[in-house]
Amino acid sequence: MAERAAHVFSYGHQNASRFWFPCIDSYSELCTWKMEFTVDASMVAVSNGDLTETIYTSDMRRKTFHYTLPTPTAASNISLAVGPFEILVDPNMHEVTHFCLPHLLPLLKHTTTFLHEIFEFYEEILTCRYPFSCYKTVFVDEAYTDASSYASMSIFSTSLLHGSSIVDQTPITRKRTAKALAQQFFGCFISRISWTDDWVLKGISGYIYGLWMKKTFGSNEYNFWIKKWLTRVTDFELQNSGILLHPTFPSGKDKESPTPHLHFSTRYPHTLPCEYYKLYQAKAHLVLRLIENRISMEFLLQVFNKLLSLANTASSQRYQSHMWSQMLLSTAGFLKSISIVSGKDIQPLIRQWVEQSGVVKFFGTFVFNRKRNILELELKQDCFSQGTQKYVGPLTVTVQELDGSFNHNLQIEENSTRHEIPCHSKSRRNKKKKIPLMNGEEVDMDLSAMDSDSPLLWIRVDPGMTLLRRISFEQPDFMWQYQLRYERSVAAQLEAIRALERYPTPASRLALTDILEHEQCFYRVRLEATQCLAKVANAMVNTWSGPPAMKSLFTRMFCCKSCANIIKTNNFSNFQGYFLQKNVPIAMAKQRDAHGLCPKEVLTFILDLIKYNDNRKNKFSDNYYRAALIEALANTITPAVAASNESRTVEGLHPDAKLVLEEITRFLNMEKLLPCYRHTVTASCLRAVRVLQKNGHIPSEPGLFQAYAQYGIFIDVRLAALHALVDYTRVDTSSEILQWLLHLVQNDPVSFVRHKILTMLIEEPPLFRKSESTLCTEALVDQLWKLINSGTAHDSRLRCDAVDLYHALFGLGRPACLPLPELGLVVNLKEKKTVLNPTIKPEAGAAVSENASSSAGGKQSLVSEGANGKEPGSGTSASQGTKRKADSPPAEVTGTEGVTGRQDDDNNEESGKVKVRIRDDEEVDINMEHDTLASPKTGLEDYPSTQGSKPVVAGPESPTTQAARSARASPRNDHHHEHRKKKKKHRHKHKHKRRHDGRDSLPFLGSPASARSFNSLSTSD
Amino acid sequence: MVEASCFAVRPGRGGATAAENYFAARRRTLQVAASALLTEAGFEATEYAALETLTEMLQSYISEVGRSARALCEHTARTHPVPSDLLLCLSEMGFDVEALPAYAKRTHRIALSAPPTSHLPNTPKGLPTGQRRARPQYIPAHYPEFPDPHTYIRTPTYREPLTEYQVLRERSAAQRRDVERALTRFVAKTGPTYSLFDPDPAAFPLISCQPSANAYLSALLPSHLAEEAASLDNRDDDITTMGVSETGHGLESALSSGSLLPGMGANRPGEEPPIDNPYLRPVRKPKVRRRK
Repeated sequence: MAERAAHVFSYGHQNASRFWFPCIDSYSELCTWKMEFTVDASMVAVSNGDLTETIYTSDMRRKTFHYTLPTPTAASNISLAVGPFEILVDPNMHEVTHFCLPHLLPLLKHTTTFLHEIFEFYEEILTCRYPFSCYKTVFVDEAYTDASSYASMSIFSTSLLHGSSIVDQTPITRKRTAKALAQQFFGCFISRISWTDDWVLKGISGYIYGLWMKKTFGSNEYNFWIKKWLTRVTDFELQNSGILLHPTFPSGKDKESPTPHLHFSTRYPHTLPCEYYKLYQAKAHLVLRLIENRISMEFLLQVFNKLLSLANTASSQRYQSHMWSQMLLSTAGFLKSISIVSGKDIQPLIRQWVEQSGVVKFFGTFVFNRKRNILELELKQDCFSQGTQKYVGPLTVTVQELDGSFNHNLQIEENSTRHEIPCHSKSRRNKKKKIPLMNGEEVDMDLSAMDSDSPLLWIRVDPGMTLLRRISFEQPDFMWQYQLRYERSVAAQLEAIRALERYPTPASRLALTDILEHEQCFYRVRLEATQCLAKVANAMVNTWSGPPAMKSLFTRMFCCKSCANIIKTNNFSNFQGYFLQKNVPIAMAKQRDAHGLCPKEVLTFILDLIKYNDNRKNKFSDNYYRAALIEALANTITPAVAASNESRTVEGLHPDAKLVLEEITRFLNMEKLLPCYRHTVTASCLRAVRVLQKNGHIPSEPGLFQAYAQYGIFIDVRLAALHALVDYTRVDTSSEILQWLLHLVQNDPVSFVRHKILTMLIEEPPLFRKSESTLCTEALVDQLWKLINSGTAHDSRLRCDAVDLYHALFGLGRPACLPLPELGLVVNLKEKKTVLNPTIKPEAGAAVSENASSSAGGKQSLVSEGANGKEPGSGTSASQGTKRKADSPPAEVTGTEGVTGRQDDDNNEESGKVKVRIRDDEEVDINMEHDTLASPKTGLEDYPSTQGSKPVVAGPESPTTQAARSARASPRNDHHHEHRKKKKKHRHKHKHKRRHDGRDSLPFLGSPASARSFNSLSTSD
Repeated sequence: MVEASCFAVRPGRGGATAAENYFAARRRTLQVAASALLTEAGFEATEYAALETLTEMLQSYISEVGRSARALCEHTARTHPVPSDLLLCLSEMGFDVEALPAYAKRTHRIALSAPPTSHLPNTPKGLPTGQRRARPQYIPAHYPEFPDPHTYIRTPTYREPLTEYQVLRERSAAQRRDVERALTRFVAKTGPTYSLFDPDPAAFPLISCQPSANAYLSALLPSHLAEEAASLDNRDDDITTMGVSETGHGLESALSSGSLLPGMGANRPGEEPPIDNPYLRPVRKPKVRRRK
């Protein structure tokens, strides 16, 4: 088992601990913990808190790990990882331990070298020590997410590990690690009172992570990051739906959702689609940044410090559990702390951005009034379309004039849209004079391009990104060019680049080229400029003179002095240069000549780059660079002359495409012999093959991708192949492949892959709403509907994906492919919900996708299996649950802490610690029942009534029962980790099960007995 | 050698060289001898072809006798055959040696004239190159002379090394590409493949992928093969480019070999003894009371 690196770990979307041990699975129920794990002697069990001792069992074949977690912690923050891990004690901080799978230790060493810096940074800005006494990072294969934080431990995906020669992965891994660590403070140590307060924790952890990023990667990277997420959040809100951070639910009337525009409920974290939740967190962080703008960073950090020190004090109160409420954070508590510390009232801000969804959308134009020397600015707000809100209040406008840069604070009011801004400088541009910029720098500019009457160089609205807004501002192209060249803010440069796409002129070309060559310019801006330059070049294809865009520049920067067509041997020690070298070919390949073809010159250029690529003298790996070159090759592909799928032969292959295909074949085959880091080249090749297929150069066949998508291939490659298959499904409308994909969604052993397939299908839906497609069949509707209701109870993320896909494919209405319910009757569409016809499944489907959680429980006819797990949550046991809540939480711990609990001892022990001793059947059954009754905590918003997840991948058939069985049986089963592992590693299941049963479990329980206990479990289920 | 020349005689009658004349004369003598034997046996006439065959057989026989006599004498470490050698080889070939004196003294023998004197022309000497070395003192005089110097002295010839950067880069790129192509084609030919063009399996074969149990290992760890290839490449490079600076290479190989040392478990606990981490503590033995 150890040789196969078999391992097990807990995972889940939000609170999901109840799926693997009995507990009150809520973030707001704190208790202290003592845990024991008995595992095979070759294994290490990593869990929360301090490892107090490790003891062999009496037969010396297994070890018991004893953990104590004295800090009050919610059950949802409890986790476990068991495996034959290699152990690395952090050389800088001995209380930090890292774990990875066998053979990866060198990578682990390199990956974690910087972790102590993150610790130091957080502890310094928060002026607070790390709240737990130790920290563990575990890197596991087939992880549920890249990184997930639990109390005093984080579980990462093993793909984050990298060696010293990898450039691209390094910042990504560091960011993930830093983010996970930030969540240790806010999220794991300080927990939330209810789900609606989640935004505070996510916001604070995101905010301090942002500060770390600013310090580590520089403020350009930070601003770029803010700008990126601001754009994504606004785009999402304007296109799809508003994001509501702090929904308030009117009590009693369930029907009134605060977010009627959404097709899902925001009442539970388990019903949020993944994309929405990602942007929810981003928005939370952006709002925290707005609060910082209001009360200053100093005060905000003081608030954090106050929260942490209160929680610290509370956590040391061992026997006064009522004090522990200080460790729970609510929106109100957070606001109170802010007002105490800063004395400022930020209620309006909260009301605007937190309790209300939507962003601000501005349209701006301006006119310069020469006579009055006044800038007449017109700012219009769109506050009626989807996802918008009205903004009233101050707004900063920065005007760069000849005499310098000036900030103006405008007051946005209800009705007026016009603002007059006095200008400071006369238009006197004949005097040669340096022009002062915002940051105090003075530069020489060539002013010949600008309007001779106006002293305005450029105008920026809300330069500090102090609102959640989208601003469309109109200014002439030369002003954008000046802004791109001379404005030092990254966000402004990006805006300018975005705007210049619309002005394909030689001047724009020059400005972009200058930025590209400008060494001091932030590299990400330069990368954006390459893309924009390609677009500009395509737009001015008829007037373009000289070699293809960027070719001479690339030659000058990266090719040999003596022979211009040969690239220098790779040397990636200058990272900006590296990223530029990687991205310029990709952008270049997007150029098209007047016939819509890629210029021959570009293709030969890229082929030469590949041919002469020489990485022997480089201390960094060139795998990402090679992958980029293949991507560039794929970008050169243009649609082939029309030919049907069958008639595409080798002879008919276009010579250019043939060259490309030869390279791809060679790369792909070489990868089999010399695989590169994360198989980036293979993934890139697969994408390129798909491009060739899509453009009709080679027969469009899914077989290759299916082979690469199977289980056992590295995950990145699988995802690339799956993406190609999703694309195939969409382009070739193949219901066969769609079925294949959906089969994978239900059966794949890797949860992340299942999630990604659905995500990709959502992004590129194979059929459009209301469109006629052969794919749109009743069977498909049924299948998805079944997936929503019964296949995914253990994994709420997957379930939300399924709901989202249903929504993407069919919308809220009735899928077009279904037969009309009653042909004789004309049904009023508005009354659709009231029609009660048991045959009309899709009606229910529409209703559920509108509000998935609330209606799913009620449809007994459809929810057969899923209902088993849900039924108790929806109300029958509400009184039980609340009653238990009333008297049990401290008692939960007492069994192990030595204080007598009020409930019977067994229950306390069961929920408080993972037992090692075996019990007989009746007791198990009793506990089972107890568990089902106890688990729903209807008094709390946190608790999802309908679903959850479980820590292991279960077979698709009877997921609920299996999940429940494994979760419930495992704690009182000595070989619980084997039990789960054998599920995780399906393929080795039988062989090893037999072996281990024979070897391990005999001393404790005769296997017939255990079998009986399982049987009784399942029957009682 | 002899036979070949014999055959060459007949058609090439026109411009015969000295060597050809010599061989033709010998052949003629053999033919005469064969004719005499035939006459002795009572034949009056023979077809030319038959005579020729008999001559051929005679020649083969004599050659064989000579060859095996020589082999026998050399076997006994002599350079010249003695009569006993000859006798031995004749009897080995099944010839009744006892009958030989009687046959020699037969009465009706025909005396043949001596073959015309012609000498085997000397093989033309190769052009003398360089100074032929004199024998050193300690070698006896009866040993042969040194051969021409060019037959044993190696003169290393070399071209000027290529220093032109462009050519070098081109060559190394082409070489690597050829190697890669040959290798991938070989693997593709010998293993399962997937073809992008359905009816045409030969075009662009892709080596099919094999799922593995722990796919992340090959994806994350640098491949050993790649490193070996890199070091090989570097060695080639040294030869062809002759001293292009090698900075970085040493560092790289040091880094990579360092990071790949197999002793992963070895340096785990021992290096820094003062670390007190619960995971490094030894596992405790179970208490006796647990055993009951």
